Amino acid sequence: MIDVNTNITGPLNSMRPGAGTDSLGIPKIGISDGKKSGFANTIKAAKNYISEVDDLQQSSDVSIQDLLSGKNEDITSVVSAVAKADMSFKLLVGVRNKLIEAYKQTMNMQL
Amino acid sequence: MEVESSFGPIDIAISGLRAQGKQLKVISSNIANARTSDAGNGEPYRRLQAEFKTDSDLGGVKLDKIVTDMSEFLRILDPGNPMADESGYVAMPNVSLPVEMINLNIATKMYQANVAVLRRYQQMIETTLELLR
Repeated sequence: MIDVNTNITGPLNSMRPGAGTDSLGIPKIGISDGKKSGFANTIKAAKNYISEVDDLQQSSDVSIQDLLSGKNEDITSVVSAVAKADMSFKLLVGVRNKLIEAYKQTMNMQL
Repeated sequence: MEVESSFGPIDIAISGLRAQGKQLKVISSNIANARTSDAGNGEPYRRLQAEFKTDSDLGGVKLDKIVTDMSEFLRILDPGNPMADESGYVAMPNVSLPVEMINLNIATKMYQANVAVLRRYQQMIETTLELLR
């Protein structure tokens, strides 16, 4: 059936560093396995998400090529692949900007 | 949780697009054959109708089957036609053009509605992503 619980941060869950979530889907901070979530861990998790986004980009590329070379005549599947790739890429760019901003703010801190 | 979880509405709207595409195919076949007095099996073309059903694992729609309309053939008076019977009538397909035109309008509007859902969902996602800025 329909996944009614379509939260747009779904892809972000892969970025949460092993802390798990509570019943509302809000991440617990560094409790379950005793480890604190560090900036480096977040960057590592971001790598996984990048590869997921890359997979979607590749599949949308392939479907466009299939359409143009006449292998596939179904425009709707191309639209769906491109829409998914576009959405996840926008999320990736948003998260990346936020991470870099956080890094810069930390680096500019007066000691 | 996988990336796919936030793509539900996209897949459902796309399934709607596909279904209406099939519907359009059936309607165009009916209109193209509206005057086909011999469909290859000795009788005139029979009107086709697409039946849809819910795709249980996605929540979208998919084509169930294409059924043939078994209603009476239209009989027109044409004594000069070589296929006319002894009283001069020729059997013609049971396709009614006005009905097909209305169905065509409905299919077009349904297609547009599914595209509207797709676009609106993308806008919603973009609105949410603006929170990251």
